[in-house]
Amino acid sequence: MVEFSPQVAETIIRAAALLGAGFAMIAGIGPGVGQGYAAGKAVESVARDPEARGNIITTMLLGQAVAESTGIYSLVIAIVLIFTI
Amino acid sequence: MKEIQDPVKMQKEIIKKTYLISLFPIISSLIAGSFDVFLGFIFGLIISTLLLRIKYNNIRRALDMNMEKAEKFIRNRYFIEYALYFIVLFTSARNTRINFLAAAVGLFMMKFTVVLWSVIDLFKDTFQSKIDEYK
Amino acid sequence: MIEFSPEVIRTVIRTASLIGAGAALIAGVGPGIGMGYAAGKATSAVRRQPQARGAIITTMLLGQIISGSTGIYSLVIAIFLVFNT
Repeated sequence: MVEFSPQVAETIIRAAALLGAGFAMIAGIGPGVGQGYAAGKAVESVARDPEARGNIITTMLLGQAVAESTGIYSLVIAIVLIFTI
Repeated sequence: MKEIQDPVKMQKEIIKKTYLISLFPIISSLIAGSFDVFLGFIFGLIISTLLLRIKYNNIRRALDMNMEKAEKFIRNRYFIEYALYFIVLFTSARNTRINFLAAAVGLFMMKFTVVLWSVIDLFKDTFQSKIDEYK
Repeated sequence: MIEFSPEVIRTVIRTASLIGAGAALIAGVGPGIGMGYAAGKATSAVRRQPQARGAIITTMLLGQIISGSTGIYSLVIAIFLVFNT
């Protein structure tokens, strides 16, 4: 039977938490692609209807700010993994 | 934000509003006496102002190309920008006189300003339409 | 009972944090893809309506300011993992 001393167990858990913090940030791909897609569609519709420009820009910015939240979730999880475990 | 059509005027307006909002953390860091936070914040703010100018020039150049070429051009320019961000954060992490988190917040300041501005515009519009309905 | 020497502990934690930092940098790809898509749409929009050029540049500039930030989140985590552990 293999047994770990408390120090070894602590080391392994700390290493796994740091590794997990790095992998959590891969989620940042999603909001980047989505926000760029929204900007492209907004540009297309500004060209189609230049009168409605103000409303299109406000809608685009709010949609991008909401899409940003998944990136912030992964950032929060990464910070929690680094600092508390 | 709605009535501004000209991109140069829009840039000036964004820079003005960003500096106005960031007066608050600058003055409070000076009052608290932490000079490294002040230095990091100013560093991030200056870099983000310069990168706004670079973004504008890139877009203006990309609009004259055809579609695939513009996609590739903007993608490559984004990775150059990413490398610049990396250099800024690396410098502030290595240098003990510059606070790392303050530099990161300084880089984000322009984005906060734009989002805040659009939210305020949305609230103004909502109240205006409510008042018009009441009349 | 398995025990680690302090050197082994340091090496394990350092290795984990470096692998995590490398994984976090993958997230920088997302905004690149999104911005490229927006730029492609903008060129076709200018082709269709050349007089709306100023409005299109303004919309794209706002979109780029917002969408570039998820890359910076991952950079912050990566540099933190490299230097502070």
